[in-house]
Amino acid sequence: MSLNQDRVAEISQSLFDRRQFAYFLLDTQWCVLEASNNLQEFGFSNLEVGVDATDEIDFLVGIDISDNHELSMISSPAGDPIRVTFIPSVSTITVVIMDARQEFLRQKQLQQKANENELLLGTQEKLLSEIEEAKIKLELQNVELQEAARLQSSFLSGVSHEFRTPLASIMGYTNLLLKDSDETSANYLSAMKRSSKHLLSLIENLLDHGKFDSNEIMLNPKSTELAEVFSDVELLVRPLAETKSVNFTITTDWQAACFVVLDDSRLRQCLINIIGNAIKFTDQGRVTVVASLKDDDLHVSVEDTGIGVSEEHLKKIKQPFWQAPDTGKSGTGLGLTITERIIEMMGGALDIDSSEGVGTTVSFNVMAPSIEPTFHQEAQVLTQFNRSLSVLMAEDDEDIAFLVTLLLEEQGVKVVHVANGALAVDRLQHEDFDLVLMDLHMPVLNGYDAVSQIRGAGNTTPIVIMTASAIEADKGRAQELGCDGYLVKPVDIADLLNIAQQLVT
Amino acid sequence: MVGDFAVGKTSLTQKFVNNVFSDKYLTTIGVKIDSVMVDDTKVIVWDVAGRDSLSPINANYLVGAAGIVFVGDGTRPSTIDAMSSLWETTVDRVGDVPVVVALNKHDHPDWSVSSEQIIEFSNRGWDVFNTSAKEGENVKSLFESLVHKMN
Ligand SMILES: Nc1nc2c(ncn2[C@@H]2O[C@H](COP(=O)(O)OP(=O)(O)O)[C@@H](O)[C@H]2O)c(=O)[nH]1
Ligand SMILES: [Mg+2]
Repeated sequence: MSLNQDRVAEISQSLFDRRQFAYFLLDTQWCVLEASNNLQEFGFSNLEVGVDATDEIDFLVGIDISDNHELSMISSPAGDPIRVTFIPSVSTITVVIMDARQEFLRQKQLQQKANENELLLGTQEKLLSEIEEAKIKLELQNVELQEAARLQSSFLSGVSHEFRTPLASIMGYTNLLLKDSDETSANYLSAMKRSSKHLLSLIENLLDHGKFDSNEIMLNPKSTELAEVFSDVELLVRPLAETKSVNFTITTDWQAACFVVLDDSRLRQCLINIIGNAIKFTDQGRVTVVASLKDDDLHVSVEDTGIGVSEEHLKKIKQPFWQAPDTGKSGTGLGLTITERIIEMMGGALDIDSSEGVGTTVSFNVMAPSIEPTFHQEAQVLTQFNRSLSVLMAEDDEDIAFLVTLLLEEQGVKVVHVANGALAVDRLQHEDFDLVLMDLHMPVLNGYDAVSQIRGAGNTTPIVIMTASAIEADKGRAQELGCDGYLVKPVDIADLLNIAQQLVT
Repeated sequence: MVGDFAVGKTSLTQKFVNNVFSDKYLTTIGVKIDSVMVDDTKVIVWDVAGRDSLSPINANYLVGAAGIVFVGDGTRPSTIDAMSSLWETTVDRVGDVPVVVALNKHDHPDWSVSSEQIIEFSNRGWDVFNTSAKEGENVKSLFESLVHKMN
């Protein structure tokens, strides 16, 4: 029996020794009453019965326990991770210490990763917001740049617009003088006419460039006879080729009366530009134009044996305002830029292939859907009126007014000229006219206001706007106000008479 | 030492107690106890694991605290905003004990705390310090100021 009891005690002691906890018992003054003998294994030393535990164990200092309390992960005085449970009773506190190394490792792995991730996430967010800020800054700069480009192009169109009016009058008077001049004067005047035309085309290019930049260019596709476009172009550029020893040919592969839908005036513009360039830069040899129509696609190639373009210059050639140095040729440097943009708008692409000293091939294609021919396309003839028309013209530019008056009177039209909108309004109250020609920009009362006053007074005389402003928006406004026609200076007298015929019954 | 994870509680403690600093981040698990003498007072510093994505602060570690150092990271505004709610948890557990605030990582170029925020803390009677565990800025003043308030 006693042996048995010893045995039991022995077993329980060994079980206790193997337990994963240690303990000590304190009185309410933190004095050690009892301590398990395995405390050292948990990092506690010197914890003898009778000592003040707060002298030995920092985490007991100041702690205030009335209920069961647990510090689940704390370090022992030796620095090992332990779990501490306080079990208070009336006059004692039992402090149970358990090993927490495994739990420590587990938590450490988990926590370290999680926290590092979260820090990374924070950094990432910061970076992203920095990127966002940079992006906004860039966008702002972009807007500023675009604004600068817009200002530049509106300056360009403003300036070129201002040039058109005086140029129109130079061209008009040159034409008049040409009519009755001797041979020498005629030569001089022809030279003036050519120069004025050239100047006008440069101005048109500048205007177009400005419009492209402000997205104001619109295509106006209509039923077009291809052969007509090409023969017109040939007529225009052949004289250029003939002044040089350049063999100029145009070959097309379609039947006569082949109709397609496209903006013929823009196509003309592109062809004149490309072919004109080819001739301009070719002093001898040939300029060969080959055009073919296949699957609703018009393909044109213009090959020349001219000076060619170096590889380095080929890269810059499509940039606005760029011109090859030392060629001795003049221009705005806008022709090719505009041509390429128009071609792109027409659903095609422009390609340039060149070797210096050998020649250049410019080829392009545009969409050209074929269509049944329309037959009511008549040649334009100067309209003859069977009675004398009376026209009121409001125009502040004396020279233009005088020119238009001359041209109209030649056709038997009676013209009354006033210098601003207010005078026109006043005149219309006392007198009837068949037609009113109205400039837009005039002192005292501008064209728009004059038209709205005239219409406001119930007057239905046809009004044709006549202005140097080629911007589409003006046309829309003129229509809105109740104008019947719209002509852009320099006014072609045939156009004017045509409109007049349509309007005057 | 109370505050979000990785604000510099361990770093401030180690700088103050052992005058060391490490750039390497080692997350504190549970609580780490250190002691140091400030004048004649033995100060036991409980470097408590910060509030983090996995767990709220364990209020058991706050029991018995005679003063609190709230630590925020001046480069992470969320850790400064967190202080008010941490204060509520703390005051629940330990009552209205003296408080000092460390707006830490003052050496860092991204450090930015609004003066309104600082005034709000001061209005609660807290002493606010711009600290850097890395460079030692205001570390001594932070702890000494708390000890003076507790005595
Ligand atoms: N630049 C800088 N970094 C610090 C400062 N204090 C702490 N850190 C860093 O911040 C990270 C977290 O610090 P730690 O003391 O572990 O934060 P705890 O989780 O609040 O204990 C570590 O990488 C530290 O090196 C400081 O004053 N300046
Ligand atoms: Mg820490």
